[in-house]
Amino acid sequence: MCDTCGCGEGRRRTIEVNQDILRANREIALDNRRHLDSTGTIAINLIGSPGSGKTTLLERTIERLGRRFRIGVLEGDIETEIDAERIRKKGAVAVQLTTGGACHLESSLIHRGLHELEGRLDGRRLDILFIENVGNLVCPSFFELGEHLRVVLVSVTEGADKPLKYPKAFRTSSVFVITKADLIPYTDFDIKKATEFALSINPSLETIVTSSRTGDGIDEWVDLLIKARKRTP
Amino acid sequence: MHELSIATGIVDEIVRIAEENRAKRVLAANLRIGRGAGIVIDSLRFALEVVKTAHPVLTSTEMRIDEVPLIYRCNDCGREFEADDLYLPRCPMCGSYNLRLVSGEEMDIKDIEIEV
Ligand SMILES: Nc1nc2c(ncn2[C@@H]2O[C@H](COP(=O)(O)OP(=O)(O)O)[C@@H](O)[C@H]2O)c(=O)[nH]1
Ligand SMILES: [Mg+2]
Ligand SMILES: [Zn+2]
Repeated sequence: MCDTCGCGEGRRRTIEVNQDILRANREIALDNRRHLDSTGTIAINLIGSPGSGKTTLLERTIERLGRRFRIGVLEGDIETEIDAERIRKKGAVAVQLTTGGACHLESSLIHRGLHELEGRLDGRRLDILFIENVGNLVCPSFFELGEHLRVVLVSVTEGADKPLKYPKAFRTSSVFVITKADLIPYTDFDIKKATEFALSINPSLETIVTSSRTGDGIDEWVDLLIKARKRTP
Repeated sequence: MHELSIATGIVDEIVRIAEENRAKRVLAANLRIGRGAGIVIDSLRFALEVVKTAHPVLTSTEMRIDEVPLIYRCNDCGREFEADDLYLPRCPMCGSYNLRLVSGEEMDIKDIEIEV
């Protein structure tokens, strides 16, 4: 408006944007995904509360699949190397990603993690990459990392209503793992209810009931991983 | 508190667009956030005010948030209806849980108003 009169006020313009606010994260996630596809690696993003049994399930999984497949793990945590050390003891390659306070992983951190893993692999390719997200059922569900499969975990001590309380985690996942099934006798956890709630949020969700203590359901979990791997390029 | 990360993402994007268009300052940013996006609007507002202070071009920016209602369409009877939240929505006509989300998950920057 005031280009000519010299009053100092500039011209006003409206710029149409119409773009997703997480676009930057999504673009890096797509890069990660292309990279993973080029090395023939299936990536699995595990989301669950602190203590829901994510690391223990990974330990059981590596015991079962570690000789057949080369497995890598990116361990998301706010601080400490403890979980990465647990994974390395099982013979898989692990990189700890400490977020320094953030309650979720973002795709740029995964990008760095992939480079660091490659540094430790000397040119060998991974068959399966697990990403253990920061313990939290809310924030991680917003951020695509480039994973092929998103898995949400709830332990039986957390209660069957979790799908209703954290719908986004359940809507964006394709597998629901109920963990610590050996503890059911000590809780009022109702598998049928939990499954129904989960399906009401996401009708295509596949549910598996596991115990890393007794080994129940681990066969089914491992089969699902092998099938998912066959489906990806 | 994903609102802080999300606010950082929004602000970085606005600054990028402002620079691309050689803006002297950004007067306003219009955002569209769905009721079912899982974002606490008050937390987001607060986070935006904190994050924008790092960028001189945003000193006087008004951050406007348009909340998009949560609307479902029933796959059984075809009716569309508005829901208050994401938890176990049910068709008010036929009681079905078989629903499709029509709107309410948006998280968009709609436009920005700049002074050049
Ligand atoms: N009883 C029982 N305890 C489990 C099971 N899986 C994990 N835990 C225990 O739960 C605690 C938290 O497990 P962890 O795998 O570290 O959880 P994360 O924080 O999700 O990685 C540990 O003390 C585990 O030993 C299970 O299947 N049954
Ligand atoms: Mg852990
Ligand atoms: Zn209906």
